[in-house]
Amino acid sequence: MALLEVEGLRTHFFMREGVVHAVDGVDLSLEAGRTLGVVGESGCGKSVTALSILRLLPEPPARIVAGSVRFDGRELTALSEQELETIRGRQIAMIFQDPMTALNPTLTIGTQVTEMLRHHLGLDARVARRRAVELLDEVGIARAAERLDDYPHRFSGGMRQRVMIAIAISCEPRLLIADEPTTSLDVTVQAQVLDLLDDLRHAHQMAMILITHNMGVVAETADDVAVMYAGQIVEQAPAAELFSRPEHPYTEALLASLPDLERSDPRGTRLTTIPGRPPDLISPPDACRFAPRCPYANLEDSCVQAPPELREIRPGHLVRTAHPASERALAGVAP
Amino acid sequence: MTAAPSTDLGRPPVESAGAPIRQSSLWQDAWYRYIRNRGAVIASVIFLLLLAYCALAPVFSPYDPNEVDFAIAHQAPSWSHPLGTDQFGRDLFTRAALGGRISIGIGFGATLAILLIGVSYGAVSGFVGGRLDNAMMRFLDALYGLPYLPFAILALAIIGTVNFWTMVIALSIASWFITARVVRGQIITLKENDYVRAARALGARWYRILLRHLLPNTLGVLIITIFLELPGVILGEAFLSFLGLGINPPDASWGSMAQDGRDAYRAYPYIIVIPSIAIATLVLCANFIADGLRDALDPRTRET
Amino acid sequence: MAAYIIRRIVWTVPVVLLVILMTFLLMREIQGNPFRKTERAVPAAVQANLERKFNLDEPWYVQYALYTKGVFTFDLGPSLVLRDRTVNDIVKEQFPRSIELGLLAFAWALVLGVPAGVLAALRPNSRFDYGAMFFSNVGFALPNFLVATFLIYFVALRWGLLPTSGWTSWEHRILPSFTLGLVPMAYFARLVRGTMLETLQQDYVRTARSKGLPHRRIVLVHVLRNSLIPVVTAAAPLLGYIITGSFIVENIYAVPGIGRYYVTAVSARDYSVVMGLTVLLAIIVIVANLVVDILYGILDPRTREAHA
Repeated sequence: MALLEVEGLRTHFFMREGVVHAVDGVDLSLEAGRTLGVVGESGCGKSVTALSILRLLPEPPARIVAGSVRFDGRELTALSEQELETIRGRQIAMIFQDPMTALNPTLTIGTQVTEMLRHHLGLDARVARRRAVELLDEVGIARAAERLDDYPHRFSGGMRQRVMIAIAISCEPRLLIADEPTTSLDVTVQAQVLDLLDDLRHAHQMAMILITHNMGVVAETADDVAVMYAGQIVEQAPAAELFSRPEHPYTEALLASLPDLERSDPRGTRLTTIPGRPPDLISPPDACRFAPRCPYANLEDSCVQAPPELREIRPGHLVRTAHPASERALAGVAP
Repeated sequence: MTAAPSTDLGRPPVESAGAPIRQSSLWQDAWYRYIRNRGAVIASVIFLLLLAYCALAPVFSPYDPNEVDFAIAHQAPSWSHPLGTDQFGRDLFTRAALGGRISIGIGFGATLAILLIGVSYGAVSGFVGGRLDNAMMRFLDALYGLPYLPFAILALAIIGTVNFWTMVIALSIASWFITARVVRGQIITLKENDYVRAARALGARWYRILLRHLLPNTLGVLIITIFLELPGVILGEAFLSFLGLGINPPDASWGSMAQDGRDAYRAYPYIIVIPSIAIATLVLCANFIADGLRDALDPRTRET
Repeated sequence: MAAYIIRRIVWTVPVVLLVILMTFLLMREIQGNPFRKTERAVPAAVQANLERKFNLDEPWYVQYALYTKGVFTFDLGPSLVLRDRTVNDIVKEQFPRSIELGLLAFAWALVLGVPAGVLAALRPNSRFDYGAMFFSNVGFALPNFLVATFLIYFVALRWGLLPTSGWTSWEHRILPSFTLGLVPMAYFARLVRGTMLETLQQDYVRTARSKGLPHRRIVLVHVLRNSLIPVVTAAAPLLGYIITGSFIVENIYAVPGIGRYYVTAVSARDYSVVMGLTVLLAIIVIVANLVVDILYGILDPRTREAHA
C-alpha cells in the first residue's frame, strides 16, 4: 500500500468574487522512501494541493469539497483538528517557500526547534536542547550550540531554510513536503539545500514531495514527476521517462522552454515561450483547460467538447490529453 | 467572466484566456470601491442629512431660537416641538440645528486649519529633508503626545475671548501634529518615486515638483485625514463647551447645549441627550466614511 | 540593550526643556499671568511672594531658566489665588487621585478590551465579533459626558448601586474609572483584534500549525506575544486621551483631581497653578512615551538592533 494516496482532491476557495477551483481533481500516489516532484507554473494549484494534504488552508475561504487523502491508510480529510495535530510535524512535515517569513521573528531558533521535540517526543528541556544542537549540526549550521539562542533575523536566507529543514526532520517524519524550498534562495545556495534534502532523505528514509516550478530541480532529485496545470494533474510518470518521452503538449512546451546551451548555436535564438495565459479558475472551461494554448487542438476535437480524463498511456505513465505525443507521432502530425 | 477558449483555434490570440482588463483612473476605481462599501455609503448619506438638517431647519422653523417662554419649558417631544423644549422654553429642534451649525462649522474650520498647518509643515519637512527635516521632526516629536485639551484651553486664555474663530484657532493649534507627520511620511515616500526623479532629471523646479507631482498624490491621504480629524475636533469643541470654557450663551453649540442640560438631566434628559447623540452620530459617520475612503483609495489595507 | 535605554533617557531632557519653554512663552502672553508685572489686584504679601518667586524684574530668559530650575527641584511657586498654598501643595493633594483614576481606567481597558479583541479575532465574522466591533465603534463616538450622565442616572440614581459623585470609598471609584476607561477599552479591542488577525495570517503561524503544535500554544506563544506589541505602543497615545478625558470625568463625578482643578484654576485665573499643571502633565506624557519605547525595545528584539 502506498504511503500517501490522494484521490480526486478538489479544494475550492469561496471568495466574494466567486468560487475559485484551485485544485480540481488531483490524484497522487507516493510510496515510502520515494520522491515525487510536482511541477507547474504559478497558480496551477501545486501549493494548494500540498496545503490540502495537511489541511493547513484557512477553512473559511478554503474548503476541501471532494476527494480523499489517505496517509498510511488513515483518511486525513476526516480527522479532527486534534487528531491532525498528531500527524502534523510528527508523521508529515512541511517546509515552505519563504524562509524569511516562515520563522517567528520574536522567538529564538532554539525555542522554535525544541518546541517540536518537547511536544511530539516528550523530551525535557535539556535533552531537547542537546538534540536541537545535533539537528542544526546535521543541516550544516556552524557553531550550532552558540547560535541556538539567536533570533531568526541574524541568519541569512539559506541558513534560515536549513533551520526550517532541521525543524521539519526533527521528529523523524515519514513524509516531507517541500513547497518551493529553493525558490527564494540564491542559485548557489539552492544547490546546497537540494543536496542537503537529498542526503537527509536517504539518511532518515523519508518520502518527499518536492514542489517547484523549476524543471531542473526536479530532474536532479525526483523519482517520479507530476505536472500540474490549472488545478489538475496533466501528466505523471517516472522522472527519466517524463524527460525523455513526454506525452502532454504542455509538458513538451515546458521542456522546450528550458534554455538549451548545448545546441550548436545558442546565440541568436529566442527562448521558446507558451503563448496565452492559464484559464480563470473561477469558472474553468468545461473542456481541456490547456486547449486555448495547445498547438494541436482543433475545433472538432473531443477535448474541446469535454474535458479529457487522466489515462494510463503506458505502464506507470499517466496523461490527460487528447493529443499525446506518441499518438501524434503515429498519426504523422508535425510537432 | 467566462474564459471560453477562442472559437478560432487555429492561432489562439494571446488575450483569449483569462479575465479582461478594464482601464480606469485611480479616482474612478476608488469611487467604485467606495460605492460598494455599504457602511460607508449609509454613513455618507446620514452625514449629508445631518448637514442638511443643520443648514435648513432654522431657516424653515417657525420658532425664534432665543425666545424665552417659561410657560412651555421642559416639554417632552411632541408634534409642535419634535425634540421638545429646554429649560427656557426654547425649541430644541431649532436650537440643535443651530448648535450643529456652530459645532460642525468649528469642526470643519479647525480641520481645514489643521490641514493647512500640517501640510505646510509636513511638506516642507519631507521635501527639504536632511537636517532641517531632522530638526523639524524632533520638534514635532516633542509636541506629539501632548494632550490637546490643556493646550487648547491655554490658547483660548491667551486669545482672551471665546468665539467661533478663536475656537477654530485654539483647536487647530493643539491638534496639527498627526497630520504633519502623515503628510511628511507621504511626501518622503513619494519623493523616492521614479516619476519624481524623472521630473527632476528634466530640470523641473522644486515648487513645480511639489505642486504638480507630490501634493496631488497626497490628496487621497488628505481627504481621509479630514474625516479622521473631524471627530476629534468636534469632540474637542464639545468638551471645551461642556466645561464652560467654550462657546457661551446665547450662542449654542452642541457642547454648550449639553452643559445646559447637565443639571436637569434627571427630569428632562433630552436636553443633554439630543446634542450628545448628534455628536455621536457625526463622529460615527465620519469614522465609517474615513474607513471607506481608506479602503477605496488603498485596497491593500482591507482586513480579511 | 542598555545603550538603547540610556540614549532614550538622555534624549528626553532637551524635550522636557523645550516643552517648558514653550509653555512658559505661551503663559507670558496671557493677561494676568505671574511672569509679568500687571495691574493685578493682588494682596501685597502675595505680590512680594510673586516677585521673589517669579523674578519679575529679570529678562524673560532668566525667568525661564529660574522657573525651569524650579521645576527640576519640585518647586512650582505659589498659587495666585489661594493665599497660603503653593502649587506643590495642590499637586500633592490632587494629583494622586487623578493617577488612581487613570490607572483604574487603564485597568478596565486592559481587562475588558484586550480579551474582547482576542476573542473577536479568534472567531472572525461571528456574532461576537460583530457585536464587539459595534460596541467599540459606539464607544469611540459617544461623548463621555453622555455616558457618564447615563451611568449616573441608571446605576446610581435609579438602581442605587453606586454613589453619584465623590471619591471617598472604593465604590466611588467604579463609575468614574469605567467611564474614563470606555474609550481605551474600545481602542484596545479594535487594536488587538486587528493585530491578531494580521498575525494569524503570517507565514510563521502556518509553520507553527504545520508542526502539529497544539492550538493553545500557537495562540499563546506565537500569536499573542506578537500581537500585543502594538498594544504596548498604543498605551502612549491613550495617555493623552486619559488626561483629556479626566477633565470631563472628574468634573462630572466631582472627583477632586488635577483635571477638575485645572478647569477651576483657569476659570479663577490662577495662572501659576495652570502653568505648573500644564508642565506637569507634559512631563508625564513625555516620560510615558519613554517607558513605552523602552518596553517596545524589550518586547521586539528587532528594534533594539535597528537602533544600535
